[in-house]
Amino acid sequence: MAEVITITSGKGGVGKSTTTANIATALAMLGKKVIAVDFDIGLRNLDMILGLENRIVYDVVDVMEGRCNLAQAIIKDKRTPNLHFLPASQTKDKTVLDKDKVEKLINDLKKEFDYILIDSPAGIESGFEHSIYLADRALIVTTPEISSVRDADRVIGIIDAKSKKAQMGEEVQKHIIINRLKPELVEKGEMLSVEDVLHILALPLIGIVPDDEDIVKSTNLGEPIALKEDSLVGEAFRRIARRILGEKVEFLDLKAKKSFFEKLKGLFK
Amino acid sequence: MSLFDIFKKKKSKDVAKDRLMMMLAYERAHTKIENLDEMKKELIEVVKKYLKVKDIEIKTTSNQNLETLEVEIILDK
Repeated sequence: MAEVITITSGKGGVGKSTTTANIATALAMLGKKVIAVDFDIGLRNLDMILGLENRIVYDVVDVMEGRCNLAQAIIKDKRTPNLHFLPASQTKDKTVLDKDKVEKLINDLKKEFDYILIDSPAGIESGFEHSIYLADRALIVTTPEISSVRDADRVIGIIDAKSKKAQMGEEVQKHIIINRLKPELVEKGEMLSVEDVLHILALPLIGIVPDDEDIVKSTNLGEPIALKEDSLVGEAFRRIARRILGEKVEFLDLKAKKSFFEKLKGLFK
Repeated sequence: MSLFDIFKKKKSKDVAKDRLMMMLAYERAHTKIENLDEMKKELIEVVKKYLKVKDIEIKTTSNQNLETLEVEIILDK
């Protein structure tokens, strides 16, 4: 049975597309047939994070409007077998999506793939509604900052109201991904901790992703960091993928790297 | 806790958490119904048909698991 997973936030710029790209990559590495669909109409960016921007011919709106068939629009990633991508349209008209057409598209994709990952646009307007409507599971990405957590709370509050599954009396699974955590700041008491965020949002955690400069490099290169075996952030994403498959995996032990001076201070405590 | 800790300032993350929880307590209660005023007016119209109404008060409370809507109708004596 195919599963539709929507990656959403509330606030923009918290790392939704990076998260989508990396979980899609990690699921594909585990042998699942995956497609990442960019629903951020008008503002493409999943294509660049995946490094597939030069291969786009048709987009998601072309498919829905019948200008091409589904197979023509789907891009197969050559580096990661099993990974596929359906780009967002760059049309300025954000209202171009239509509920019935979205449903047909998702149902067609369900026949072909094990996992359909939808990169939702920020905000709570129509684009968000379309991307959450058919979700079996929602992953809410938040950074440990007040504005991000606040917007995440608002989004969580409306997921069920916008979901078909919830309207039919079933439950949409909701999980939190805490992105860009800085263990040094948490230890100093200057950043909300994982426990703080979970206490406020009252939903189960599916991933903690540490802040890492390597992400910038991997985005520059268009190579999802989940592909890098020795990367801690990559490992964080790979573990999220395993949890999606139902495996019980421990969370990364994110301790601040101590400087020599701090270690010395620790001796005299 | 040592004697020294008493003089320590509150950590910024504690301030952040307090601010967030205050804000969310308010927002969770107010964002569930978009047209609260409109609903209030319509409710008054309906109840007015049968009773003398002075005012209607609507309160919402919610957390992630439970939402309640409290409607208090104050009758005219």
